[in-house]
Amino acid sequence: MDLNDEDLIRRVVEDGDQRAYAQLVRRYQSQLRFSLRQLCNGDQGLADDMAQEAFIKAYKALPAFRGDARFSTWLYRIAYNLVMSHKRKNAPEVDQEAVDRAQAEESVEEAHQLGMARDLNSAMGELSDAQRQAVHLCMQRGFSHEEAATIMKLPLGTVKSHVNRARAKLQSLLQPWREEVAGG
Amino acid sequence: MVIKDGVVHSAPGVAGGDEPDFDTWLSQQLQFNEPHLDDEGFCERVMADLPPVPAKRSERRATRYQYAAVVAASAIVCWQFPLEDVLAAMAAQSISLYSLVGLGMLSSMVAMTGGILAARR
Repeated sequence: MDLNDEDLIRRVVEDGDQRAYAQLVRRYQSQLRFSLRQLCNGDQGLADDMAQEAFIKAYKALPAFRGDARFSTWLYRIAYNLVMSHKRKNAPEVDQEAVDRAQAEESVEEAHQLGMARDLNSAMGELSDAQRQAVHLCMQRGFSHEEAATIMKLPLGTVKSHVNRARAKLQSLLQPWREEVAGG
Repeated sequence: MVIKDGVVHSAPGVAGGDEPDFDTWLSQQLQFNEPHLDDEGFCERVMADLPPVPAKRSERRATRYQYAAVVAASAIVCWQFPLEDVLAAMAAQSISLYSLVGLGMLSSMVAMTGGILAARR
């Protein structure tokens, strides 16, 4: 039986049910790890470490979770803070070997992907980090602008501005694909 | 500048006026192209690193029930206690009976407290 987030959290907090927390980890691990890989510039090892730390930190703080926001928003905020904090402390220590390896693997996979996916990736690469993260959270993860602002610790207006600028740039870059789809 | 089939071309112009439509299309493309990452032991690693389970709320609830039971039992004892007789004995300055009752009540409380402590351990 698939319980919703609120029920699982209640079980963890009230009954100390770690199996309920495992269900939450399984539910969000793929999305969070994928998001953090983007945030960590493709360093998969670092992204997974950060995701693991985020889940553990969230577990410890779960009794204080008031449910004002969705669990996913709260979890992303913890993870986002961890990555930003790590980046500030270890700016020069990016595992370049891991990044290169991941990019090499990606380029092999890309050879088999549709042109759309490849061009979408290229277009996303044209965005600034903040624009890319805002688009990822709002348009890929489905967070509202307010939730994205909470996660990114930015003013709401700044997030909206990032999304609007990114949208305009992507709209321009991907216009041929749009026309193709519209033209059938 | 536009991108098509991996080739960057100069821009023919920016389309406008269909932002909600574009948002939907872009969201679909982004989500469609996202791979699902297999767990590959990730969940197990997280669960292995979690701190020990804190005192369960159910245990705390059980402790509260124990206290409530003691209070209820004490209330019943007090209710059933021949208070009038004791008062009459006290009025007759029967000090030995009063002392005996006090000692009995004190012993009962000590026994109940000890029982609670033993149960909690």
